[in-house]
Amino acid sequence: MKSAPAIPAFLAVLAAAFCVHAQDAPASSEKSVETRYSVAVIDDATFYSNLSAPIPTTLNQVLVEPTFSLHYDNRWSFSTSLISDTTTYSDTATQLHVRETYAGLSAGDFDFTAGRKLVRWGTGYAFTAAGVLDPPRDPTNPTDRLNLNEGRDMIKADWVHGPHALTLAWSTAALAPAASNLHDTTAFRYNVLVHGFDTSLIAGNDRGGDSFGALTFTRVLGQAWEVHGEAAWREHEAILLGAKYTMANGIRFIGEFFTPPNIPYYRDAGVSPTAGRQHYAFLYAGKSRLRERPGWKEWDVSGSIGCNLNDHSYTGVFDVNRWFGKHVSSYVHAEIPVGSKTSEYGSAPYSTATSIGMRFQL
Amino acid sequence: MSNVNQFHTSSVHHPSAHFAEGRDGTNPSHYSTFTQRRREKYVNCALRTLLLLVLSGFLITCALVAHAAPAKAPDADEILKRSDTYRNGWPAFVTHVKITNYESGKPDEEELYEVSQKGTDKTYVEFMSPRDKGRHLLMLGDDMWVYLPDTSRPVRITPLERLSGDASNGDVARTNYAIDYSPVYVRTEKVGTEECHVLDLTAKRKGATYQRILYWVRVSDARPVKAEFYLTSGKHIKSATFDEYAEFDGKQLLRKFTLYDEIRHNSHSILEYTGTVPRALPDKLFYQGRSDRF
Repeated sequence: MKSAPAIPAFLAVLAAAFCVHAQDAPASSEKSVETRYSVAVIDDATFYSNLSAPIPTTLNQVLVEPTFSLHYDNRWSFSTSLISDTTTYSDTATQLHVRETYAGLSAGDFDFTAGRKLVRWGTGYAFTAAGVLDPPRDPTNPTDRLNLNEGRDMIKADWVHGPHALTLAWSTAALAPAASNLHDTTAFRYNVLVHGFDTSLIAGNDRGGDSFGALTFTRVLGQAWEVHGEAAWREHEAILLGAKYTMANGIRFIGEFFTPPNIPYYRDAGVSPTAGRQHYAFLYAGKSRLRERPGWKEWDVSGSIGCNLNDHSYTGVFDVNRWFGKHVSSYVHAEIPVGSKTSEYGSAPYSTATSIGMRFQL
Repeated sequence: MSNVNQFHTSSVHHPSAHFAEGRDGTNPSHYSTFTQRRREKYVNCALRTLLLLVLSGFLITCALVAHAAPAKAPDADEILKRSDTYRNGWPAFVTHVKITNYESGKPDEEELYEVSQKGTDKTYVEFMSPRDKGRHLLMLGDDMWVYLPDTSRPVRITPLERLSGDASNGDVARTNYAIDYSPVYVRTEKVGTEECHVLDLTAKRKGATYQRILYWVRVSDARPVKAEFYLTSGKHIKSATFDEYAEFDGKQLLRKFTLYDEIRHNSHSILEYTGTVPRALPDKLFYQGRSDRF
């Protein structure tokens, strides 16, 4: 079993950490408990137009998303984030998903985590080559607007010292959906901040699959520019380059270019296995707090376009969000796929998908 | 002295002195010469005394003037460091910040933050308002990340990406002016009833929130009074008043601070600090790769 060496390594690190914990007992006898919570309730209705498949034109979802976190004595922690999703489509179904549930122990420079956790090692906004434990990136929904992404079940050990951090993670696919194409993954990451470059070196192995390696970086230049990139090797190379520019008035522009090999790990459902290496581009423009004026600062507006440069298909996405006070917001989200019926984005069975919704946050 | 002797000699050799004669037949010129000589001696002595007095007076005056001359300009670096202690009471501490944004004098919106600061360049800001719950901001020197619960990862941000309204990330998270700015002493000026030092602060780094700050601090204790903030272009973008101070855990610290928008003059933000306490903060809290929601 390729994952077997990882387990003794974890046990050795855990034993070392307990030794550190025993030596590093807190000076004060006071114990502190901190809790955090949030609850989001979202009612989302999506309307599809010009459907090319015999499916309902309206999808309604009501999501209740509670999150709770407890920290005890700055050493022990527990966090859980659930999603209750009631979907009305052809029928009504309610599901409970576990987005995250994990326990943590902090001992000296070590942190240990066990459970389901969302981890994102990739630096890309709409794409990722190095996010080996990340949930899938979707260029039409890079921010996971309904918070439907779930974490991976894993044991993770972090060592953080100054600008250096080492992470060893073992993730199991035992509880993952069958169609998710996930494997048991062992991964190692070295992350360092040096001269403004936030850089990571990643290596690992998918059980029954590929070994992989990756390099990521982010850097801020001056007052307005941020650049990021990823280079990964998994059978073949995958490259991501991106940049973000912020204007003085707060408008942000993001651009990314991504070229993955056409292998099952990266291939989208709309791409033929014989199509060869793919090339993607993503452009985004948006502003939170549209203007610093009453009646305007409650508005967030953004637009983006994700395109496949090989088959010339793309999806335009437009988002408008409006806050009412501190707790309630409403939004409109529109997706317009364009391209031939055999292209990646053009194969969507609708000409537009418009979502309107209300969100309550506590 | 030779001139005095010449004067005496010329008076002794005055023609009338030679032709005057006494009644007893003795030569009266000898008597008058003696008297003359005594008179000259007294005059000489008087003149010397006067000269001595004038010289002494001159020296005393010089000494007094030198003593009363203006002292060397105050040490601007020392003043700035002292003023920073009103915003950074301990090497590591936690404080709660409430930012209330006002439009035309009316409260418009309110944001809550918990700020953990360690040393001079590590700041961790947790967003506590319902709208932004789960978001964090991390500042390590010039580098900044924001953790967004939607993306579940820290995102690198630029200095131009703001926090809230008139308050930028730096207004909340960068409070060590002595680290970020080089001060030059400008003048002393009265602000209300307070005598203040005026310092001209120039950013040491391009990533600083403001490239230039004019800073007024009290002469008596270097307590900040007001400030003006300028961009690289020289544009006066904001002004601030340091309104209230309070005692936190035995230290006098800033309690309330107002930022005025110099471009939109009807807008300002009030930052209020509460619950400021010293706390031992682990370095792990300031790790840029943290992906915990809370």
